[in-house]
Amino acid sequence: MTGILVALIVLTIVLVAAFLVRPTITARIEGKILAFAALCVLPALCIAMGMSFHMQRSEQTKFCISCHSMEAYGKSLYIDDAKHIPAQHFQNHRVPPDTACYSCHTDYTIFGPFKDKLAGVKRIYLQYVSTPPNPITIPGGFKNAQCLHCHLGARAFQENPVHASIMDTLTSNQMSCLTSGCHDTAHDVTNISHEKVWKPGT
Amino acid sequence: MKFNQIGMGQFFRASSVLIILGLLVEIVSLLWFHPLSFVLFAFLGAILIGLGMVVYLASLVFAAIPISGNRE
Ligand code: HEC
Ligand code: HEC
Repeated sequence: MTGILVALIVLTIVLVAAFLVRPTITARIEGKILAFAALCVLPALCIAMGMSFHMQRSEQTKFCISCHSMEAYGKSLYIDDAKHIPAQHFQNHRVPPDTACYSCHTDYTIFGPFKDKLAGVKRIYLQYVSTPPNPITIPGGFKNAQCLHCHLGARAFQENPVHASIMDTLTSNQMSCLTSGCHDTAHDVTNISHEKVWKPGT
Repeated sequence: MKFNQIGMGQFFRASSVLIILGLLVEIVSLLWFHPLSFVLFAFLGAILIGLGMVVYLASLVFAAIPISGNRE
């Protein structure tokens, strides 16, 4: 993907440079058509493909944790304790490991992916221009819909007697999945330094 | 007419330079794995390329004007 895109960009640069050196090429009709391709069609394609490349990259776990303030959250995926929901999902590939953070933190709506990127730009501002809040929180709190996107309708979830008895309050987000006593341990970054760490391949 | 052709050429050159710069920025943003690479792409690369395209399209529009301009 990167290779093809870089090749396309280089090709476009070469074509555009040819016009820069020899503008007389455009005197003829073929030249005019080529100029339209080089100065309009190909650059538009480069922008579109670049956008799609960056969108995909920004969904990757390693991209999320390339930001300093997310490092601890990245480490929390390796906590060796099944009570830690993100760690447990990541280590058992219940979320795709390459896009773990995104799987739990995007809201699965049509414009969700786009909203996430805008929110991302705001966080870049916080990271590099102002300062990230401490502690970092999710605006509006973590929504059940995010867990339910995967779990709703799944047998193990539906047939669990606790879930079954309060199903309405779960689907309406009245009671959080993270309510204390339920699935209340997520990243727990404040205690991360004294957690046991899982090392893949051992 | 001659004067106008020079004007066209300048548009053309400006457009080519903007597009080349934008594309070079885009390559850097693709190869640089960093939270800011997206910002670099969207707010510098894509804008330079887009501007170059607009200048090129504008040059096409201006190229049509001399026909009416010549009458005076
Ligand atoms: C299994 C789903 C899951 C995965 C995978 C996951 N998270 Fe979370 N994350 C949560 C939940 C649930 C909360 C809400 C915790 C709370 O409110 O107590 C949360 C909260 C957060 C918060 C807000 C701070 C907080 O503790 O409330 C940040 C920041 C965050 N996650 C970042 C990440 C990053 C970065 C990754 C990937 C390295 C990631 N998450 C992966 C489920 C997940
Ligand atoms: C991307 C999909 C996805 C998301 C989002 C997700 N899960 Fe899961 N989860 C799974 C899969 C797959 C399993 C394994 C199959 C099963 O047990 O149902 C699982 C298993 C579980 C289990 C059972 C663990 C065990 O050891 O049996 C719990 C508890 C759980 N998830 C809670 C949550 C909570 C709470 C959230 C929201 C913060 C959440 N999940 C979000 C996919 C997801």
